Amino acid sequence: MKAVFTFSLMTLRMLFRRRTIWGILLVILLALAAIASVPSFDVSNQGRFILDFGLFGIELGALLLALGLAANLYPRDKETRTLMPLIAVPLSRWQYLLGRFFGAALVQAAALLVTCLGLMLILLFHKLPIPGDLLPATVLIIVEGWFLLSTVFFFSFSTSPPLNWPLTTMLFVVSQMSVVEFVNILPSAPGLMRAVRMLLPHADVFHIKDPIAHGFEIEPVYFFIAIFYGLCYSAFMLSLALAVFRGRDLK
Amino acid sequence: MIRCIISMTLLFALLVFASCQTDYDVAEVAPSEHLDVEHPAGPEQAEDETCEECDSEHSIDEQVEDSHAGHNHAQGSRNHGTQWFFNQPWAAPFIWGKLFRDAAIFLVLAVAVFIISGRKRRK
Repeated sequence: MKAVFTFSLMTLRMLFRRRTIWGILLVILLALAAIASVPSFDVSNQGRFILDFGLFGIELGALLLALGLAANLYPRDKETRTLMPLIAVPLSRWQYLLGRFFGAALVQAAALLVTCLGLMLILLFHKLPIPGDLLPATVLIIVEGWFLLSTVFFFSFSTSPPLNWPLTTMLFVVSQMSVVEFVNILPSAPGLMRAVRMLLPHADVFHIKDPIAHGFEIEPVYFFIAIFYGLCYSAFMLSLALAVFRGRDLK
Repeated sequence: MIRCIISMTLLFALLVFASCQTDYDVAEVAPSEHLDVEHPAGPEQAEDETCEECDSEHSIDEQVEDSHAGHNHAQGSRNHGTQWFFNQPWAAPFIWGKLFRDAAIFLVLAVAVFIISGRKRRK
């Protein structure tokens, strides 16, 4: 595991040196500021509006970060021929994948925490209260972001880079659908569609912006279950990515 | 021997998948007490989204109009207009077991795929 840790730190430093992370972070913060500047008209509690749309903005930011950080990691390593010496001696393929994943996951988590801080500052600027569950809500979005990151890794090993963006975005959209909505795509085969939906993640597990915006309390055990669900699904996607990567001929 | 254990694990995971109820939404498995609504015409009619008192079908937009016509619900209460809000996983503890089960299955599958893909490579 020491090799994985060292390689993930190298990945972390490399990603922070790139301009992509800073560009995406700036876009998310500007979007949050824009959301907060939209007049609430006759909505009685503007805080709800800012919180609801702000957390949705952070979730979209998680998708952008996953794609921006990880979609080009493996293709670039292959193109610049740094991949072969890496996996020839110091690292095995699973160590390479985990090192890259953990590095990108740490950068993504840091960026999402910064956006959460930005949302808090916006609420303070508008003299609105900061709900106690805002940070746990961001943690759930971070876990959702890790699932998206593992999906990006899977597609980066199995498809070409230009296909990675639309495929990951499509999975993101599908994972937002309820079971009934998903079955309605092909109503003639409900059993099959339900079985397929079971293999796809349920993104609504990570969404608690509605209760936060409306002042509802959430049982602490729910956070642990949701985090466990997200981590297990990420592990599943990473194992699939590794299976594809191990089967790849890198010559 | 190891291959046999891996195959058994995979088969077990698949059997667990098959024996479990297929995927579902919160509203499809919610007990009646979860779906109970505070509605002047009773929960059954509210579930059908039809209200004789209002003589129309409800929707969220109509709910707003209704509120101006004296059809009010207490703030934060479960009613025919807010079912979507309470049919989210955070508000439905009876579905948390299913989430845990799904997570455990994905974890088993992840370990199985990791081991099997490693063995295939060594061949």
